[in-house]
Amino acid sequence: MIRIVSAAALTLFALSGSVPPVHAAGPADSPVNVPEPEGFWTGAPKGYTPKTLKGATVVDIDALDSLAAEKPVMIDVALADQKPAGFPTDRPWLPAHRSIPGSVWMPGAGAAPMDPAREAQFLSRVAYLTGGDKSKPVVTFCHPECWGSWNAAKRLVQNGYSRVHWFADGVEGWQDRHDTTILKVDAAWAAKPAGEAQR
Amino acid sequence: MTTFTPIGMSATKRSFTAALCLSAAVLAGWPAFAAGASDTDAERLERWQEISKSIFGDRKLEPTDALIKVDAPPRALDAALVPITLTMPEKDRIAAIHLIIDDNPSPYAAHITFGPAADPSEVKLRVRINNYTNVHAVAETKDGKLYEAVKFVKASGGCSAPMGMSDEEALKGAGDMKMKFAEGGAGKPMEATLMIRHPNFSGMQMNQVTRDYTPARYINKLDVSANGKLVFSMNGDISIASNPVINFGLAPDSKGPIKVVAMDNQQGHWEHSFNTPSPSN
Repeated sequence: MIRIVSAAALTLFALSGSVPPVHAAGPADSPVNVPEPEGFWTGAPKGYTPKTLKGATVVDIDALDSLAAEKPVMIDVALADQKPAGFPTDRPWLPAHRSIPGSVWMPGAGAAPMDPAREAQFLSRVAYLTGGDKSKPVVTFCHPECWGSWNAAKRLVQNGYSRVHWFADGVEGWQDRHDTTILKVDAAWAAKPAGEAQR
Repeated sequence: MTTFTPIGMSATKRSFTAALCLSAAVLAGWPAFAAGASDTDAERLERWQEISKSIFGDRKLEPTDALIKVDAPPRALDAALVPITLTMPEKDRIAAIHLIIDDNPSPYAAHITFGPAADPSEVKLRVRINNYTNVHAVAETKDGKLYEAVKFVKASGGCSAPMGMSDEEALKGAGDMKMKFAEGGAGKPMEATLMIRHPNFSGMQMNQVTRDYTPARYINKLDVSANGKLVFSMNGDISIASNPVINFGLAPDSKGPIKVVAMDNQQGHWEHSFNTPSPSN
């Protein structure tokens, strides 16, 4: 099932009027008609993303606001800021990850391919957050043109979640209308999976 | 755990934004906490206190709308290239200025110390901004006091935005410089614009093909002098945009040559001299 909530996406489809072409997995050079990859996107993590995700609902900020009453599980998979190597010790390095209030931040949870133990850890964390109810609404997001949240949503669809929502505009789409808050990495996600301690 | 409640929040957040815009318009230069007392204000204030303590220690900062003003487009077109204007109306009292972008992971963007050949009434530069954030400008007066002003700027993703070319290409010609002058008229300061070719790699930009982060390489020290007298000395940071451009004023009696010494954190060192234009009349 494909449900497009964004009016902009509908317009794009109306204009193009055809099924997106499927071609090799190089980064798309235009935001129009980016095809969905077969499985996960394994190319460059930043780039134009599709307007669709089979088995999930693509939401814009209006749709997300409407969904809020149902208290969806909000999963932020944005990568943490990378501290530059050799950053001077006498200057402040104080990364602050601003995100949607109430979200669970699991940086890198949209990676593909992903280490099986790490993937299992992600799924068990989502199972906990949804109270084991695979029909509970879940929203994944990161930033615009960020494949991580697309992959994370795909991963949940593949694992039987029936109400997966992908908020493609991410933190930037949110902060246009609402305020953000500083999030810490989810403590359970920050801990490496069992047997991975030496990695 | 906090609950996700955007509906309940939207009204208060919108009014917060409105209040902030209003405060920016009416009370230009006032600290954000004057806007109201929401959780967000408290969080932003706490953040600012943490940063200012790490930079200024226990020194007291007083709010000002007279000694320094910070101006930026309320919504930046390109987060990797946000123009900032710092205005210091009482220029004779100013010894140094500090520019801090609160929500950048490396918030301390620039520290500029003025010398006798400067006219410190205005400085313009271009920065990277990672998130909707408060931008603080702090003036240090000659009697050693600190005064702060703030502006809320909407931009995001600037620190990690790739340059759209290979690292080698971006580094081509690094250290090349140009300087333009605009005469202010008799007895008026001369305005100078220094342009330096340098990618100012932030260290947070991922190469989309190799998925490695391009190592940080940025101008960290810039000294400008006029005929041997200091105009200004700047400590820069990864928050300064690529191909740095800085506008500054020269004291009316400053004559050339203007010497620029730029250094980056990878032992890059470049020196150029520029002649000031001769009076046209």
